[in-house]
Amino acid sequence: MNIPSLTFLDFQPVLPALLLAVGGIVLLLTEVFQSAATINRAYQSMVALAFSAVAGAVAAATTLEPAREVFLGFGVSDPFSGAVTVLVCVGLGLSVLVSAGFLRHRNAERGEFYALLLFAGAGMSLLAMSNEFITLFINLEVMSVSTYALSAWLRRGTRPSEAGFKYFILGAFSAAILVYGASLLYGATGTTKLSELAGLLPAAVASNPGLTYLGAGLVAVGLAFKVAAVPFHMWTPDVYEGAPTPVSALMSAGVKATAFASLVRVFLPFAQDLGPNHAQLMTYAFAALALLTMVVGNLMALPQRNVKRMLAYSSVAHAGYLLLGVAALFARPTGGEGPLAVTPLLAGAEGAARQQTLQAILFYLLAYTVTSLGSFGALAALERREDEPRGTAWDLEKFAGLSQRKPGWALAMAAMMLSLGGIPPTVGFMGKLFIFRAAVDAGLVWLAVAGVLASAAGVYYYLRVVVYMYMRPSQDGVTVPERQWTTELALVLSTAAVVLLGVAPGTLSAWLGKASVLFSQ
Amino acid sequence: MIPLTHHLILAAVLFCIGMAGVLVRRNALVVFMSIELMLNAANLTFLAFARDRADAAGHASAFFIIAVAAAEAAIGLAIVISVFRSRGTINMDELRTLRN
Repeated sequence: MNIPSLTFLDFQPVLPALLLAVGGIVLLLTEVFQSAATINRAYQSMVALAFSAVAGAVAAATTLEPAREVFLGFGVSDPFSGAVTVLVCVGLGLSVLVSAGFLRHRNAERGEFYALLLFAGAGMSLLAMSNEFITLFINLEVMSVSTYALSAWLRRGTRPSEAGFKYFILGAFSAAILVYGASLLYGATGTTKLSELAGLLPAAVASNPGLTYLGAGLVAVGLAFKVAAVPFHMWTPDVYEGAPTPVSALMSAGVKATAFASLVRVFLPFAQDLGPNHAQLMTYAFAALALLTMVVGNLMALPQRNVKRMLAYSSVAHAGYLLLGVAALFARPTGGEGPLAVTPLLAGAEGAARQQTLQAILFYLLAYTVTSLGSFGALAALERREDEPRGTAWDLEKFAGLSQRKPGWALAMAAMMLSLGGIPPTVGFMGKLFIFRAAVDAGLVWLAVAGVLASAAGVYYYLRVVVYMYMRPSQDGVTVPERQWTTELALVLSTAAVVLLGVAPGTLSAWLGKASVLFSQ
Repeated sequence: MIPLTHHLILAAVLFCIGMAGVLVRRNALVVFMSIELMLNAANLTFLAFARDRADAAGHASAFFIIAVAAAEAAIGLAIVISVFRSRGTINMDELRTLRN
């Protein structure tokens, strides 16, 4: 029996995840020593914030190190996973800031909440590194089990438990589909490691096509549930509406970002090593998924008067734009024949084109993370807990005349809406620009046109919120909750990020460009 | 010795029963059981292929899936209890506070 020897080099890439897990354990242990007489929970959000900041800094410092396999090939440490971890930590930090005020207002602040947030973050960071199906499944579940518990966190009324339940049933359902798909792929190829899978795929397709296609399809469906792609999005609006607002924010940012990261990691070998026919097939499959998700997400968001539900459908629509980027990544313009080869690229330029597409996806993920957290943060600042059981806390009318009552919050919300709508000078505009450019470069011109049209429809419902805030008179007797400095800090940070990165995206996009490297054999 | 295909067909049938159960049944606990059935179908597939290839990796996979299923059961039952406490029923058709 050979005992694997692991060195410090294996553990160094998982340091951010370890830090997050240690932070969670610290919070759990200190919560135990709270006594009823001297209860003090003000430190908890700060501890959680500190751990996510340190983990983010460690991840950022080591992002650009060369790609390599860790833990005997069960994981990889590459710049891509580092960048996703940084992104997760940014989302985690902002979400902790929003949670602090939100939970204090509801008297629901407990150490377990932040501990679960940090455990979910650790799962996300490890998921971005997973390079083997069982590892991927376990980390997906570490992330998901924490978020199931978080979405049912508030015990008041029927909504939170219903949201938690719906999320749990569909999440567990999708995980079961994913792992069954992985077992079929294991049967077809004899390995669960993605790095070995790449080499074994051509033979497996030749000898066992049914098993391979079914397995890959089921894995894709399992991940499509997690990224909320249409037609696997049914749970999204209900869960986002019922879950505590900071948790909805984290679900729309962190969970989605890491699910996209593993989608890319799992399916790139299929597009890369099976020849142009399969690459084209996968491009079409993901292009169809992207088209459906963009169109349905935007159309369903149009009639929503509940802003939280509107943001949920908008998150579905944004998954569609990201899928457009993924489809562009799989498109392999080989020049010459085929409807995909509109802009022929030389074979040597293919790697560069792929890196650029990956950069566009990462930039969009980051743009969506800060924007989504900002918009859910503004919503969290505004909602009053007595309206929640009736579901009126997020009505569009609550935004009427906000610019007179709370000009700062209105300004932040307006910046977020412009960014979600993709209007300059915001980071959302730059993200859409990069993604659509990548799609056009990959020859998916028609899909990029459809995406632009869909996002033009989206501008209507985003701007409606701005119109309510700035042009409608305030309703009589509407009170807003007291200010919480943590929530306001999160709003300031995300607004600054949205505007500054929209005006000067150069430094960040250059860094993400260097980080757009996936490990490959 | 029972051939590989028999195991695979059994696993596929279990998976389909589980999937149908999730989509058709309305009792939360039965739905939850159906999901466990789907996970066990994956386990059986892993084990059947692992025995066929004499490969330890597949056997190990099944243990991890069992462990994750247990963690999922813990959180899932807790959520089912909180649903029951807040409305006195676990019929999924009556979970309709959140809708368009």
